Amino acid sequence: MTVWRTFKWIRVATLLVVAISMGSVCAVGQGAKKSTVDQDGQQVAQRSTSAHEWQKEFDQVCSTTQEAMSFSENELAKFVQRCDALLPQIEKLDETRKKVYLGRLRMCRGLYAYVLESKRNEKK
Amino acid sequence: MNAKRFAILALLLVFCGLSLAQTGTKKKRPLPYEFGRVVLNNYSEKSDLSPVVFEHWIHRSKFTCRVCHVDIGFAMKAGQTGIRAVDNERGYYCGACHNGKMMVDEKRVFAACSRRVNYEDQKRCDRCHSLGKKVPSDFDFFTFSQPLPKERFGNGIDWEKSEEMGLIKPAAYLDGFTSNKRSLAAQKDFYLNPKVEGMPDIIFSHKKHTVWNGCELCHPEIFMGVKKGSSHYTMVDISEGKSCGACHVNVAFPLTDCQRCHSKPVQP
Repeated sequence: MTVWRTFKWIRVATLLVVAISMGSVCAVGQGAKKSTVDQDGQQVAQRSTSAHEWQKEFDQVCSTTQEAMSFSENELAKFVQRCDALLPQIEKLDETRKKVYLGRLRMCRGLYAYVLESKRNEKK
Repeated sequence: MNAKRFAILALLLVFCGLSLAQTGTKKKRPLPYEFGRVVLNNYSEKSDLSPVVFEHWIHRSKFTCRVCHVDIGFAMKAGQTGIRAVDNERGYYCGACHNGKMMVDEKRVFAACSRRVNYEDQKRCDRCHSLGKKVPSDFDFFTFSQPLPKERFGNGIDWEKSEEMGLIKPAAYLDGFTSNKRSLAAQKDFYLNPKVEGMPDIIFSHKKHTVWNGCELCHPEIFMGVKKGSSHYTMVDISEGKSCGACHVNVAFPLTDCQRCHSKPVQP
């Protein structure tokens, strides 16, 4: 009888251990899942931030074309570099935006490069 | 015998006439309301739609060239933009204004292309896809042009004077598209010598051009020479649509209006 009771307790204890371990595994899994979701959320947020960043950068760089003639050679060269840096980001956009902004970037970069070249020519 | 001589003489006359006749077909001069008209057919007929008929005159009275050709991104040559219905639907190109929301002169601008089309929408499609159709327009050219100062060629309208008089107010800004908000520091006007005796010099007004176009519309894609005097322009090239001809053949006042450019009096 005592042996039977001891056996019963061992069974209950084993079941408890199994239940606790399974629970903790699930909890860890959920935590991991949550952290994955968080990471995904962060990635999406980062992506949208970077999407806004390229737009901001584009607007900043190409909003000053009207003043191109007043910039120094150094400033113009920097604008050309910034345009070049924008190119790979714009190439990742959907077909429509890629078409629109590649054309706009080409004109914007072209003008800065053109003014830069004409200023260098003036010095010769 | 006489009949034979007559036949030979007739044949000779025909040959002489043919050899002296000018070859080629004369290009038809567009009527004032047709001047600046652009027909777009990149994808229309492939999609069982009529090609799009675009009228420059009404659009240029509302916006500067720069807004459409720089900020929105329409190419300077017909068909080179490659606009698709989906582009308009996403709010780009025609869809930048034709979105069913924008108000111009207290009128709602009709929406461009949409994916789902019912019978009512079909009429809306026809407003642009109108080649070969009689589609009623919101704007009648003759009513529109009647109060505006006249010119001899092109649309028969002096657009520059119209703006000076405040009869048209082309907007230089489109929300969500225009990055350049600052006004342009005007560059100096300059003279171009046509190198033809008795031909008046050309006065090129930077100010007039940049107000409507900005800088990057012309430089470097249309005028690529960086050193003044290094590029040579010929009337043949211009009439083929190069340099000044990019605008002054089809949309801005045409090349037949010589005195508008060759305007500096000849020195005695």
